[in-house]
Amino acid sequence: MRSELCQLSIRELRERIEGGDSSVTEITQSFLDRIQQCDNKIKAFLTLEQESVLAQAAKLDRELAEGKSGNGLLMGIPIAIKDNIVTQGVRTTCASRILEDYVPPYDATVMGKLTQNGAVLIGKTNCDEFAMGSSTENSAFFPTCNPWDLERVPGGSSGGSAAAVAAWEVPGALGSDTGGSIRQPAAFCGIVGLKPTYGRVSRYGLVAFASSLDQIGPLGKSVYDVAILLQVIAGADPKDSTSVARPVENYLSELDQGKDVKGLKIGVPKEWFGSALDRQIEQSIQAALEKLEGLGCPVVEVSIPQTEYAISTYYIIAPAEASSNLARYDGVKYGHRSAGQEDLESMFKFTRSEGFGEEVKRRIMIGTYVLSSGYYDAYFLKAGKVRTLLRNDYLEAFKKVDFLVGPTTPSLPFMMEEKKTDPLEMYLTDIYTVTANLAGIPGLSMPCGFSQEGLPIGLQIQAPHFQEAKLLRLAHALEDALAVERPELAV
Amino acid sequence: MPISTGEVEKIADLAKLKFDAQELERFVDQFQEILEYIAKLEAVPTEEVEPTYQALEQEDLATPTREDEVKPCFPVGTALANAPDSSEDHFRVPPVIES
Repeated sequence: MRSELCQLSIRELRERIEGGDSSVTEITQSFLDRIQQCDNKIKAFLTLEQESVLAQAAKLDRELAEGKSGNGLLMGIPIAIKDNIVTQGVRTTCASRILEDYVPPYDATVMGKLTQNGAVLIGKTNCDEFAMGSSTENSAFFPTCNPWDLERVPGGSSGGSAAAVAAWEVPGALGSDTGGSIRQPAAFCGIVGLKPTYGRVSRYGLVAFASSLDQIGPLGKSVYDVAILLQVIAGADPKDSTSVARPVENYLSELDQGKDVKGLKIGVPKEWFGSALDRQIEQSIQAALEKLEGLGCPVVEVSIPQTEYAISTYYIIAPAEASSNLARYDGVKYGHRSAGQEDLESMFKFTRSEGFGEEVKRRIMIGTYVLSSGYYDAYFLKAGKVRTLLRNDYLEAFKKVDFLVGPTTPSLPFMMEEKKTDPLEMYLTDIYTVTANLAGIPGLSMPCGFSQEGLPIGLQIQAPHFQEAKLLRLAHALEDALAVERPELAV
Repeated sequence: MPISTGEVEKIADLAKLKFDAQELERFVDQFQEILEYIAKLEAVPTEEVEPTYQALEQEDLATPTREDEVKPCFPVGTALANAPDSSEDHFRVPPVIES
């Protein structure tokens, strides 16, 4: 039994706990056993909270026995958190040498919400350093492997969270998405990942990369599990002034009601099906679009003309914001400090040069350049204007259709080292995902099939601002209709 | 517009970063390639377009206000716990003033 518990969804685990069929300790131990068995190959975790999670599980079991437990949506469910979300008393590194020994004195708002809902923290997951990357190879500690093929990348930057969920090491996880960092690894690992609308989830305690683009979101094995996690973490927060005061919809009742999706209009942006798109992915997306038509959803072609300029716009705005946000790592209040420096200026420079990895330095440099006098108008201001045009493209498209549907990634999971030495090549893998961050809209990636080689293919659905309920309803219906058959994992 | 090694060094100085000669050489090439790619934006007509710096909708753009009340904060020891160097309840840094 134990060996199977770790394969269950959050929804199924909740039923087992509520029905008294499994204890929280049994469930937690099942995931710890699975981690013990396979994480030496996957390497999804940077920090494992083995002792504290078992203590927490035992405490919940006692409370359940005494009838004193709350009715949290995640009662007794083990969850993993990307290591750029701060956790009180638990090391939070951002997969960077500069924060290697950082132990936060406070919890991120999302962490507090998970705990209040009965979740237990099993560990912190690997990622690209400061969430900058698309393969998790930019972690300062080690790369994470794709559970379907250990020689391939799991995607990034939330690659540890995605791989852990796909490999049954944890039933659900949180990641962050600045340009695709939840959706792309979800696609590469064959699971579901959601980037909510900007402002839907508090960013308090998310280590800042690009503040106008960053958003925390859930990863799970099913659309329903992702809806449970979003239900818990969504909502306004006085500690994040960019979190939005709109009421949180009831995502679970939206799914439980089993409302059909007939009549919802699907737009397919023609720019997403260019020559760069892998043939197998294209075929798989086309088959899924036919399923949507079968569900009664009219499918029409639309256009997002600025798609061609999205990567350029993103790789100006994101590094610009990053160069400003990462100025705080100066070796004074926390983090690494270079030893033996005799003046402040040298201490700053050596601390940062020793502490940051190559990609982080590259983005700080690009960001500093595009913000510097003489180049500001040509790059940063120009990118801000193109961002307006892109946003307008979306507003226009959403006048005609309810959703946009297409691929999450242009390629199948690529090989380790394949793109590591060519930063621009790596940036181009974000082509279908960065637009949602620039426009602030929600986007979800879900499995729609597997390639001949047995690699997962991700389908992306984008929706208008704050339309997560409807988005989850469509994804849930499509998930049922597709009933994707999974090959064997590599672990 | 090719970027010079000197210009990259100047940017590094502004960003408080240091590179050795070998890193710098590799950097200049990659920097050049990335700048050429992002310069694609020059082709987009943007006269009379206002820039977007944040993604919230106009109706959600409220400036939250609250009472100015004193609330509990971290004790000094907690605030200093992650500091690489501290002394007498302060962060300690190398000398700032020339002697």
